[in-house]
Amino acid sequence: MYAWLYRHLPGSRRARPLVAALLLLGVVVLLMFVVFPAVEAVLPNGRVTMGS
Amino acid sequence: MGRAGSGAPAQRQSLDGGDPSAPGDGSPSGGEPEAGGGPLRRRVRGRGREGGHGRERRIWAGRLARGLSELLITAGVLVGLFLGYQLWVTDLFAARTQDRLHHQLEQAWSRPTPPAVAPAAPRVTPLPPPVVPLGDGVAILRVPRLGRDYAPVVVQGVSAADLRRGPGHIPGTAMPGQVGNFVVSGHRTTYGKPFNRLDELRVGDAIVVEVQDRYYTYRVSGSEVVTPNRVDVTYPVPKHAGATPTKSLITLTTCHPKFSASHRLVVYGELVDTTEKSAGLPSALTAG
Repeated sequence: MYAWLYRHLPGSRRARPLVAALLLLGVVVLLMFVVFPAVEAVLPNGRVTMGS
Repeated sequence: MGRAGSGAPAQRQSLDGGDPSAPGDGSPSGGEPEAGGGPLRRRVRGRGREGGHGRERRIWAGRLARGLSELLITAGVLVGLFLGYQLWVTDLFAARTQDRLHHQLEQAWSRPTPPAVAPAAPRVTPLPPPVVPLGDGVAILRVPRLGRDYAPVVVQGVSAADLRRGPGHIPGTAMPGQVGNFVVSGHRTTYGKPFNRLDELRVGDAIVVEVQDRYYTYRVSGSEVVTPNRVDVTYPVPKHAGATPTKSLITLTTCHPKFSASHRLVVYGELVDTTEKSAGLPSALTAG
């Protein structure tokens, strides 16, 4: 899967590691700022008030 | 993860034709090639040869296994990342927000208070407390027991977004120093974990609430662990519905045990001292 993705990355052979790193960074940022904050809503450790 | 990892050398070997001298047999004991890498290498070499014969089915099975192992590794990495996010990144977010809140409070407090407007007609009802927008700083909490540097800004509101910024004051409960119950809920874990060590408070410990012009010193009067449905601990007189409050109380709530939602840890306190800022720090803060 990842090998296939890597082969299909745009850019020259030399630019590809950079493209891959940027792509990875993008995914991590998306996780940290969008996905994880949404996921943590179902976790119990945010429930600190009474009546729920 | 472990199982998927041990499959990786085999795949690498089959790709480059089962070269026995290829690196990465995964054996940590480099000093004992016979005992460590021997059996694995033999097996791997055998498989590589069969793959070389070009059996379609085997190739597809290999691809499937490889895809599956990559998915599993990805899942493991995702879980690890999420853990890192919860335990570390949320603290960073909260620290930044708290810095900003401290700055904002400082600015707001240094502005001269608007002169009390003389009422045109004699007032029957007392002035309503100032309404703080949700998410904005209300006060600074100081608890000598939790260290000199412990000074989280309490924000207005207890929505998930408010609590990410800091401990939240439940709207509708008393403001600091007022007669009634000043109720604050905060994270026990993640997001700066402001109430992580709430269980260490003992009866008599000081909880100082700093507002624009004064410090309110409360003393811890007790604590307990209750089920989450016990809304009555937030009443103006805790556990007495409809009772008219005569004292100024503080109630801090957080989750208990850590990382769980099964119970709540509740700490109660009672106002014992009010110090104008012009008179310096309250004794509870100077003694520690």
